Amino acid sequence: MSATDTTVDERADLVPPTTSRLKKRNRSKKRPPSTIYILILLLTVFFIGPFAWLVLAALKTPAEWASLPIQILPKAPQWDNFVQALTQADFLGYAGNSLFLSTTYAVLITLSSAAVGFGFARLRAPGKNALFLILLATMMIPQILTLLPTYTLFSRLGLLNTYWPWILWGLGASPYMVFLFRQFFSSLPKELEDAAIIDGAGWFRIFAVIFLPLSRPVIITCFLLQFTWTWGDYIAPALLLDLDRTTLSVAITAFYQDPNGNAIPTVQAAAAVMYILPVLLIFFFAQRYFVRSTVSSGLKG
Amino acid sequence: MARKWSRYPRRAFYAFVAPWVLGFVLLTAAPMIYGFIVSLTNFDGSSPRYKWVGLRNYIELFSDGDMWAALVRTLAFTAIVVPLTVGGSLGLAVIINRRLKAVGVWRTVFFLPSVVPVVAMAIMWKLVFNSDSGILNAILGVLGIPKVGWLVDPTVFYSLIILMLWGLGGGMIIMLAALQGVPLELEEAAKIDGAGRWTVFRHVTIPMISPILFFQVVTGVIAALQVFIQPMLLTNSAGISAVGGVPDSTTLYMVQVYEEFFLSNRFGYGSAMLWVFFLIILALTLVLLRSSRSWVYYEVDSDAEKEGAAR
Repeated sequence: MSATDTTVDERADLVPPTTSRLKKRNRSKKRPPSTIYILILLLTVFFIGPFAWLVLAALKTPAEWASLPIQILPKAPQWDNFVQALTQADFLGYAGNSLFLSTTYAVLITLSSAAVGFGFARLRAPGKNALFLILLATMMIPQILTLLPTYTLFSRLGLLNTYWPWILWGLGASPYMVFLFRQFFSSLPKELEDAAIIDGAGWFRIFAVIFLPLSRPVIITCFLLQFTWTWGDYIAPALLLDLDRTTLSVAITAFYQDPNGNAIPTVQAAAAVMYILPVLLIFFFAQRYFVRSTVSSGLKG
Repeated sequence: MARKWSRYPRRAFYAFVAPWVLGFVLLTAAPMIYGFIVSLTNFDGSSPRYKWVGLRNYIELFSDGDMWAALVRTLAFTAIVVPLTVGGSLGLAVIINRRLKAVGVWRTVFFLPSVVPVVAMAIMWKLVFNSDSGILNAILGVLGIPKVGWLVDPTVFYSLIILMLWGLGGGMIIMLAALQGVPLELEEAAKIDGAGRWTVFRHVTIPMISPILFFQVVTGVIAALQVFIQPMLLTNSAGISAVGGVPDSTTLYMVQVYEEFFLSNRFGYGSAMLWVFFLIILALTLVLLRSSRSWVYYEVDSDAEKEGAAR
C-alpha cells in the first residue's frame, strides 16, 4: 500500500483481481434450463446477422441484391465485387494511409501516455492530485465538442490536410491510456526503483530501463486499442483531410457510386468486409486485451 | 541540480506529465476557448471579414425552434437509449454469468459488434434496414407484416436506437466483471434466509454493483447526448460530405450543430451551440453525481476484503 498512498481512488486497485476472478467464479451455480439457449440463439442472430448479411451482399450481383422477392443466397459468389472494390477506388492507397496514421498515432499515444502515467503513479510534486482530477474530468469531455473548434483553429493555422493533428494529439497523450498505465505502475513495489536510485540513476532511466519493459501487457493493450480506434475513426479524417489524403474509413463511404451518385451496395459491402477484416483479426487474436481494458475502464467509478 | 537531495525532485514529475499538460492546454483548452471567441462573432468559416456580435448568437439560440426541437429529441433519445443499453448489458452479463455450454463463444459473439468501426456498422445496418432488399423486411414479410421504411421519418429514430443497442457488448463485459466481483457469501446467505433468485438479485446483487451501474449511466448519458456520426452515416449514402440529408427524426443536437457549421456556414452560431451544449452536459453530469448519493451503495470498508485475501 505504501507505494500507492497518494492514490485518488482506492477502488481502482481492485481491478486486476476482478479480471482474474472472471474465470474461476462463474462455475458455482447449477446448470441453467435449456430454454435459455433459445434466447441465446435469438441474440446471436441479432449480433451476427448484420455481419452475415454484409458478407452475402458482398457476394451478390447488383441484380441479385435488388431482386424481388428477396434472394438470400447468391447463385454464384461474385468475387469480382472485391476486385471492383480494390480498383474502383485506390483502396490499397487509402488502406496505406489508414495503416500509417493508425500506427504512428498508436505508437505516439502509447509512449506519451506511458510516460505521463508513470509520472502520476511513481513521482510526487505539488499539484499532482489536482492535475490528476483534471485528467479524470477531461475523460468526460466529449471529444466531438472539441473537434469542431479544433477544425476551425487548425484551418487558420494551416494544419488541414496534413497528418500534423494526429502527431500533436499523439504527443499529447490520451487521458484514458494515461489512466491504464497509472493503474499498472501504481501496483508495482517500491523496491523496484530503490536499487537504481542508490546507483544514481535518474528517473528517466528508471522509467525507460525498469518500468517500461515491465508494462508490456499495458503497452500491447494501449497500442491495439488505439490502433483499432484510429482505424475506425471517421469524423477526424473526414473533417481534417481532403479526399486524396484521407483514410479508408472515409474512402469507403465516399466512393463506390454509380454515375447518379448512389452507392453501389454490393461493391461497397465488399470494401467494408475488407475494411473490417484487420479489426476482426486483431480482436480474435487479442480479445483478452480488449476485455482487460474494458473492465478497468468501467470499474473505476 | 538541487542542493538538497530529494528522492522526488519536483521537476521530474513535471517533466513526465508535461506531454499531457501541454496537450490539454494546446489541444483541448485552446480550441474550446477559441471556440468561445468564435461564438461571439459571425465568422462563416472562410472569409476574413467577420464582425464581433457579442452575445447575439446566444440570444438567437433561445428563439431557435430547430435547436429546441433537436435538443428535446436528443434528450428523448438519451432517455431511451441509456436505460436500454445499461439494462441490456446487465441482462447479457447475467446470461453469460451462468453455467452455459460454450460460454466463451457466446461472450465473444456478444462482445464483437462493439469493436466494429462506425462506418462499417452504418454500412451493414443500411443493408439490413433497406426497405426492398433488406433482410429485416424480408423476415417481417414471412410473418405477414407489410414493409417498413426503416430509414425514413419517423421510423428511423427507432432504427437508430437498434443500431446503438447492437454495440452494447462492451457494457456487458464491464457488468460481467461487476457481477463476478459480488462476494458469493452474500448471495448464499440471502438464499439460506429463504430469498428467491429475483429477491437476491434485486436486494443483494444490484446494490452491490450499483457504483458500476452508476458509472455506466453517467458515461452512457454523455455518450448518447453527443451521438451524431451514426445518424449521418445511416441515412447519407456519401457520408458527411453530403450535409443536410439527415431525416428530421434523427437530427440530434450535434447533427444540427454540424449543419450550422457546414451547411449554413455559420461557424459563430455553431460554436455558440457547442458551448451551450457543453454546459448542458456538465449540468446533467453534476445532477447525476448528486443523485448518486441516494441510490449508489459505496462499500466503505474495502480494506476488509484485502485483509481477508491476505489470510
